[in-house]
Amino acid sequence: MSSRRSSRGSISEEEINELISKLQSLLPNARRRSSQASTTKLLKETCNYIKSLHREVDDLSDRLSDLISTMDHNSPGAEIIRSILRS
Amino acid sequence: MAQCGGDVSRHRKAHLETVESLCQGLLDDDKCRAMFGYLQEWPDLGSMCYNASLGEPPLAPEASNGSGGSGGGFKKRRPDACLDTKGESNSVCKRPRGKQQPCDPDQMAAAAAAAAVGKGKPERARAGAKKKAELALPKDSPATSASTVTAGQKTDYIHVRARRGQATDSHSLAERVRRERISERMRYLQELVPGCNKVTGKAGMLDEIINYVQSLQKQVEFLSMKIAASNPVVNFDIVEDLFGRQLSQVACNPAALAAMAMPIGQVELSCLQMSPLPAGSPGFGLEMFVNSNPYSPAPGGAMSVPAGASVESCLDVGGHKSVVFDMVCGFPAAAFLNLWVVFCTLLQVHGAAGWDIGSQSLFTGFDAPFQSVQSE
Repeated sequence: MSSRRSSRGSISEEEINELISKLQSLLPNARRRSSQASTTKLLKETCNYIKSLHREVDDLSDRLSDLISTMDHNSPGAEIIRSILRS
Repeated sequence: MAQCGGDVSRHRKAHLETVESLCQGLLDDDKCRAMFGYLQEWPDLGSMCYNASLGEPPLAPEASNGSGGSGGGFKKRRPDACLDTKGESNSVCKRPRGKQQPCDPDQMAAAAAAAAVGKGKPERARAGAKKKAELALPKDSPATSASTVTAGQKTDYIHVRARRGQATDSHSLAERVRRERISERMRYLQELVPGCNKVTGKAGMLDEIINYVQSLQKQVEFLSMKIAASNPVVNFDIVEDLFGRQLSQVACNPAALAAMAMPIGQVELSCLQMSPLPAGSPGFGLEMFVNSNPYSPAPGGAMSVPAGASVESCLDVGGHKSVVFDMVCGFPAAAFLNLWVVFCTLLQVHGAAGWDIGSQSLFTGFDAPFQSVQSE
């Protein structure tokens, strides 16, 4: 988002800090951490979080595909799922 | 990467120590050249040595060394080096552990030349640390040999070599270590997040990372909702055969469960509570699971709960048929309404008398919590 960059073209410290705090708010531990915000730890948390999100997405996708495959095509449930997928 | 590099560097260190001893009494170029020949196998070291002894700038070892930490550099061992004796560089006492130090020949040259030649700040090598010129300048000062005596000392704390021209106090050194760690993490994140390679600069990468995390969260949420929405309706067929079904199947289908309870006549329905998934998951995909024992007239009794669901059940005692759906979190309302349509159909189909009364309270009981959910 270019709006965040300063017009000089260099990126100021505050902008980076703002980005970092925003990232921190995304992480699940945000509230408890009480903005301890050591950048190193934050980045490490982000790494782990992204990995766990990956795992979760894979897991959910597997479950969904299993559900769909085991379902009867003409059942109302399948219809619902199809409509959801289409949306 | 640090691991393999460490091994190599340790190996090199052993050799270096031998060379060091050679250097100690060394004052003339002849011996240096001999040493240089010995060191031929390590081009970076060789060039450094060459450079140090002959005072000529090396031929771009920087490029080769900068290519990778594992390739070129060797670990700095001794904090003090000939460089320090000049007083221009920093007295070092630290070096990063397990890191490869790419050669920084400019620095060597500067030190070796002992002149204002090397004014230009050396390029920031990979980790920003420079290689120590252990063999440099034997001829320049006798103090050098003394400094080499301390060779081989290894301490347990992180050693960082301060660069020439930078402050040498512990704060900036620690700061630099911290910065190196941060950049290392950022690199790792860069690998993890697709599309980060095109953006350079901290802020751009942070931007990308934030967007990626948000999109992943949305994806998880969406998938969970899909699954949760599909679950209640999937086993609708089960309703037809109320007695023969497995408990586990029923568990997935609250409608079936309620229907199963009908013929039994005991209308103790569990109060279905839908709780969100464990706190760890970002998107609160709701899984609806029913926890109740339809076969038992007695109240209470938890059924087999499918794994992964956090369910609470409470029975409404007193023969009063009421189902309270306490929805803690938002649930796809459309799917739920669908469920209720099914349920109503069931009631009509089976026509259990006892249920007629129940259905009224069912609906009334249902509406209230549902309203509250909608407001969430």
